[in-house]
Amino acid sequence: MKVLIVEDNKELASGISDYLNGEKYISELAYDVETAREKLSLFTYDCILLDIMLPDGNGMELLNFIRQENISSGVLIISAKDALDDKVNGLERGADDYVTKPFHLPELHARLRAIYRRKKLDGNNLVVFNEIELNTDTMEALINNSLLDVTRKEFDLLLYFVVNKNRVLSRQAIAAHLWGDYTDNLANFDFVYQHVKNLRKKISAAEGVDYIETVYGLGYKFNTSKT
Amino acid sequence: MKLLNKITLWFIGIVFLITPVTMVISRNNIKKHLDEAEVARMTAVNDRVAQQMMAGEKPDRYTHGRPIAITTVAGPLPEKKVLVTKDNFIAEDLGKKECRITVDSWYKIGDQQYKISSYNYVIKSEEIFRGMLSTVVWKMLLMIFAVSVTARLLSGKIFSPLRRTMKAIHSFDLKQKNKLQLPETSTTEFKELNVFLGKMTDKAMEDYAAVKEFSENASHELQTPLAVIRSKIELLSETNIDGVQAALIGDMQNAIEKLSHINRSLILLTKLENQEFKVTESLKFCRVVKDVIATYDDWISMREIALTTNLDKNIPLNIHPALAEMLISNLLSNAIRHNRDGGQIKMLLTHRELSISNTGIPPQIPTCELFQRFKKSNQSNDSIGLGLAIVKQICEVNGYDVDYNYADGWHKIQVCFYKKQTVNSDALPAAAAVAV
Repeated sequence: MKVLIVEDNKELASGISDYLNGEKYISELAYDVETAREKLSLFTYDCILLDIMLPDGNGMELLNFIRQENISSGVLIISAKDALDDKVNGLERGADDYVTKPFHLPELHARLRAIYRRKKLDGNNLVVFNEIELNTDTMEALINNSLLDVTRKEFDLLLYFVVNKNRVLSRQAIAAHLWGDYTDNLANFDFVYQHVKNLRKKISAAEGVDYIETVYGLGYKFNTSKT
Repeated sequence: MKLLNKITLWFIGIVFLITPVTMVISRNNIKKHLDEAEVARMTAVNDRVAQQMMAGEKPDRYTHGRPIAITTVAGPLPEKKVLVTKDNFIAEDLGKKECRITVDSWYKIGDQQYKISSYNYVIKSEEIFRGMLSTVVWKMLLMIFAVSVTARLLSGKIFSPLRRTMKAIHSFDLKQKNKLQLPETSTTEFKELNVFLGKMTDKAMEDYAAVKEFSENASHELQTPLAVIRSKIELLSETNIDGVQAALIGDMQNAIEKLSHINRSLILLTKLENQEFKVTESLKFCRVVKDVIATYDDWISMREIALTTNLDKNIPLNIHPALAEMLISNLLSNAIRHNRDGGQIKMLLTHRELSISNTGIPPQIPTCELFQRFKKSNQSNDSIGLGLAIVKQICEVNGYDVDYNYADGWHKIQVCFYKKQTVNSDALPAAAAVAV
């Protein structure tokens, strides 16, 4: 996947780029509207990460430009303002999704991946890894072609793991992914533990490989090297 | 005491002080003029008698029946031809005070010199005074009556700008962006007052906006560095680290989580204060409550809490959906967090109110203080202490009442959708403002 990161904060941009490069994506950086416009005119990208507040203009202008030029890339807005207006405006102007700072990198990646699935893989709603098959439309999980009885949350969790495989997922990142940002569940990462435990039990019961492992002190990891 | 009554009392007081003085002045004036008129008349009579005598006529025509005495005098005439004497004495036969004016005139008629004296009794000053006194009493009574009545009638008109100004101030709210609208007036003092008030409120609003803008910007500006730290730590945790480092990173992640949560909550509070949540349509509150309960279901069962609900159906409320969700989820998550394992939660939803009660340890500080920002019953607790502040703010924005009570081991938070005392609490100060 080829991604253009439009973000004026260089450290943040390089952080995102590092993470995406780890997924073998090709990412390019643009620190302002002008560079972004130039790059968009010259190259094609699968996805664009777009910051709203840029030194020489507003990300919304770029959205208009993208639409005018009929650029078919998926757009994920990153904004410091988690104002509802920005969200609505952005989505109306053709953005595909919206995350607010400070986001978790796995979250950003999961959303990017979702956009990519919808836009570039022609709405392919299947996420497959070895014996695991996840249908993002019907929320059905299959292991070795047999239906796994999972709750909505467990499905989300498994999808999150599969998309961010071989990554350390902190309990915070998982909690934020499952319950959103406003749930003040700081004390309850046991909760995450509970869900992961249940999920692992169910996968093992379906004779799937227990890819999920605990990373001491940090969280969990979907380790693909396990067999 | 009302301004009007004060002014009336002062006015009447001053009239009481001035009246005796004016009475003395007018009595003296009247007396003086009366005496002068009498003296002039008697002088004229004396002259007339002298003229008649000069003409050789008998002065009977004038002297008859009048207190006139004609005497011949020897020796030189006094330089002044007319002498006026006033006598105040007590008439012996009547035992009363009398006042008599005598006018003596000297004439030379032929070789003979004559002294003609006329006298008359005039009104005494006490008599004038007595007459005036009854007049003054009537005058005073009439004045007090007239002043009181007209002041009351006029004050409605004169003080109406002040009253309207006070009403405007009363309904003025710094958090609203509307400028203070003051009524036009032609009274200089009220004009000055209005100009002053206008300036003061404008300044206050500017300052308030500046402070708010600062906290808003600060919160927004913090988001990017937070995002940098969080992403870098996530990248760091991907590298080759040992157990000790992992634990350190884990702690950092917790701290950042907390920081970003505080920041988000502060931004949310600012947005609530800014009234950025416009309500467009009513939503079914009961459905939101059910949705929120569903999201917390697993947490509740994990802590083995018994939840009993009594939810009325079909409760439409005008509230922003995001706020409704946040309100309920803050309340419910509080009820779960501050509960004991195996405790209870009761939820009640009616058309009037939503109430959530939960078991738990008694609060360490007065319950009303828990609505303040960063106030926590248990300071070591992991929560950040903004949940109830947000609840309160949401309620304020939507005009709800919120109450927190603790009794018999139950914490009870009640949200009333309709303010009970709206009529009374608003009407009282308004009435006070009107009563100028």
